[in-house]
Amino acid sequence: MFRSSKTYWALALFASVVLAACTAPPAARPQASASAFVISAIPDQDPERLNRLYGKLSDYLKAQLGVEVIYKPVTDYGAVVNAFRTGDVDMAWFGGLTGVQARLQVEGAQAIIQRDIDENFHSVFIANTASGIQPFEDISGLTALKGRTFTFGSESSTSGRLMPQFFMSQAGVALSDLKGEPGFSGSHDKTIKLVEAGAYEAGALNEQVWKARVAAGEVDTSKVIVIWRTPAYYDYHWIVRPDVEQKFGAGFIEQVKKAFLSLDAANPAHKEILDLFGAQKFIETKNENYANIETIARQIGKIK
Amino acid sequence: MSSSLGTPLVTLQATLPWRSVLNGARLVAFAALLAFVWSAVQVGLFRGDLVNAGGWALVQQFFAAALRPELSTDFLLLTLEATLVTFAYAIGGLALSLVIGSLGGLLSSEVWWQARRPKARLLSSPWLIARGALVVPRAIHEAIWGLFLVRILGLDPLVAILALGIPFGAITAKVFSEILDETPRDALRALLNSGVPPARAMLYGLLPRALPNLISYSFYRLECAIRSATVLGVIGAGGLGYQILLSLQSLRYQEMWTLMAALLVLSGLTDWLSARIRQALGAPTRLELNAGADCASEAAARARATSGSRTLLGLLAAALVLTPLAFWYVQPDPSRLFAPHTTMLLGDMLRQMFPPDLSPANALTLLNLAAQTLAMSVFAIALAGLFGILLAYPAARPARHTRRAMFTYGIARAFLLFCRAIPAPVWALLILFIIFPGPLPGALAIGVHNLGILGRLIAEAVENADKRPVRALQHAGVPSAQAFLYGGLPMTLPQSLAYIFYRWENCMRETVIIGFVGAGGLGRLLTEQLSSFDYSGVTATLIMLLILTFAVDVLSNTARRAIR
Repeated sequence: MFRSSKTYWALALFASVVLAACTAPPAARPQASASAFVISAIPDQDPERLNRLYGKLSDYLKAQLGVEVIYKPVTDYGAVVNAFRTGDVDMAWFGGLTGVQARLQVEGAQAIIQRDIDENFHSVFIANTASGIQPFEDISGLTALKGRTFTFGSESSTSGRLMPQFFMSQAGVALSDLKGEPGFSGSHDKTIKLVEAGAYEAGALNEQVWKARVAAGEVDTSKVIVIWRTPAYYDYHWIVRPDVEQKFGAGFIEQVKKAFLSLDAANPAHKEILDLFGAQKFIETKNENYANIETIARQIGKIK
Repeated sequence: MSSSLGTPLVTLQATLPWRSVLNGARLVAFAALLAFVWSAVQVGLFRGDLVNAGGWALVQQFFAAALRPELSTDFLLLTLEATLVTFAYAIGGLALSLVIGSLGGLLSSEVWWQARRPKARLLSSPWLIARGALVVPRAIHEAIWGLFLVRILGLDPLVAILALGIPFGAITAKVFSEILDETPRDALRALLNSGVPPARAMLYGLLPRALPNLISYSFYRLECAIRSATVLGVIGAGGLGYQILLSLQSLRYQEMWTLMAALLVLSGLTDWLSARIRQALGAPTRLELNAGADCASEAAARARATSGSRTLLGLLAAALVLTPLAFWYVQPDPSRLFAPHTTMLLGDMLRQMFPPDLSPANALTLLNLAAQTLAMSVFAIALAGLFGILLAYPAARPARHTRRAMFTYGIARAFLLFCRAIPAPVWALLILFIIFPGPLPGALAIGVHNLGILGRLIAEAVENADKRPVRALQHAGVPSAQAFLYGGLPMTLPQSLAYIFYRWENCMRETVIIGFVGAGGLGRLLTEQLSSFDYSGVTATLIMLLILTFAVDVLSNTARRAIR
């Protein structure tokens, strides 16, 4: 087709120039160096929001701990657990379920810190107003979901899947009672948007995300309402790998704890981080708090 | 369904004279029809509660956003970087696959072993070992390789390159060995007989004649590599697929359109370039390489020899420039391969994977889901085949360049490009807005994606087909619709069907990645098992997938032989 080899040379040259010229090796991709403290988090919200949140947190931790701190974003819950297991990530923000999964795979990993709200965490069931599902007080009201379309968040989400499914089964609602198969939206934000748009009549998500989005005016409450708030359970927490003390010196875990505990809502810079986390302050936590989650996860088959 | 098909066909071909192959074709047609009906029932086409009417609002928003793609400088830069990452993965993976493919292809070719040990019986030679070693890596989808490798190697671009390179390498090895075996051997024999050592005899006697076909095929693989690199992005490797997924998960449709436009340009350019190069090298169609039919006539090939050798030189230069650039751009860390940590994680995982979970309960689930998965692949390919044939005719370059013909041609081509450039998992996520989770949305997604691929392949076949029968009918005053039906369609139908059966194998493999976004079948189970770290369950599911893939391979081969 081409009449001369010149065309090919030109194409090859063009392609290489494009590749070479427009980018020095991309600065956007942080290279994990041996000396950096790498943190990550389950991607339970809008990725863009997470980048902002953990960017700020990384800067704060860097100043507090005196080491390089890198935030590594990932696409799904399982990937965080895995990165934590392989040691690509030193400390991660897990949900109840992923935290248990992670600790089962990394011996000696410790749950250290959580938000004030996490020791009394709730999920909310929401419904599109056009569905006609009315708010209720008692768990038995969940039977109203029978014959309705319903979406969870991520498969591995504690507040968006595990606990809602647990409470549904307590109320005698099996997944097969729903209309069609349940959806797995992937994140709490997407659950709100799907129910608001009417793609699903009802859904379940993390109460803190719901409150934050309502407060920010991002939810059209004439279209989507809360129908039930679950009882409290333990959820999100930071888990740190046992080998960080070899990497950064003895007492490093205590330093990390201190950095979180000294976040003070009275300090405007700190308040920004706390607000992004939806918390007043951080508190200490321990592995034992999650025994209950582990039992439920085994019942539902998310832990073998 | 067609499981009853294999044996009768073989006996038919063996016992009846060649003429009755027509019966074979009829049998295939009948079985295919039955299979389609069965698949439609299986994917739940006739069950209630299919369409989720509530989702139309989101679909409207999605298409409305096409008019206002995100064009801020920051986002355009991000799009450019994502595009380059995807391209670099494709190049890096392809380079690796060519190394594996060349070595594996040589070792698994009959001609190599025959040249080395002319007296030995073929079956007793290491040939069998080489062939066998390539079977499993080929049957496992890139995305599954990716998910496994990431668990062993951690988050590193190396994962994407290996995940592409290994299965692609095994596929390439198979095709390379077929090309080598089908290349005329007179020159090789002459050299061997005059006492030239086998390796050197191959180098001078066989390789030069096989090279254009080897290169054409490699270039065809580049198209596939771009598509697969995008899919790997969707499962988290970065690049365009990753960004599209993020935008879709945040329901930022305007960003999505910008990213999809970049994907269209990248995909479109590669397809175009690849088609041109294959033409210049005189090996125009995919199937001719794959099915090993006689390569374009020797005379034509020789006529193209001059332009061909220039093309080769250009390609070589491009490869030499692009490959190091690609590796430099994504910066994989090969030291991870040999780190003790990696070995430990691999050992850990293997221990958890075996023995596979073959408990009766799990086996039953697997069988049910296997039927569902098979149905998804049949339904998808039926959809893709039907609409692929219909769209291929407007999408074939018209003989007369009237404005209207060119307009239809442009629209049809653009539509096909759009269908195939968007990865199947992304189609699935879009379709999930309006159809409930389950096998149907998955089958539709694979169908739409493969429609784009098949439509283009068949359009190429139409372009290369003999135009005289249609013209003769038209000149005799037959209306053009009928002229097409009696003069055009029969000329291309056998080849189209062969393509369709060939793509069916791909549809089968793709059911897995559809499952990753929640759209039914064994892939859905695999996702749940991976997120529960249930590795013994994962192994069982993989075994089931391998069995299905091989079954479909055999059926597709039998059917292709029957209609040839």
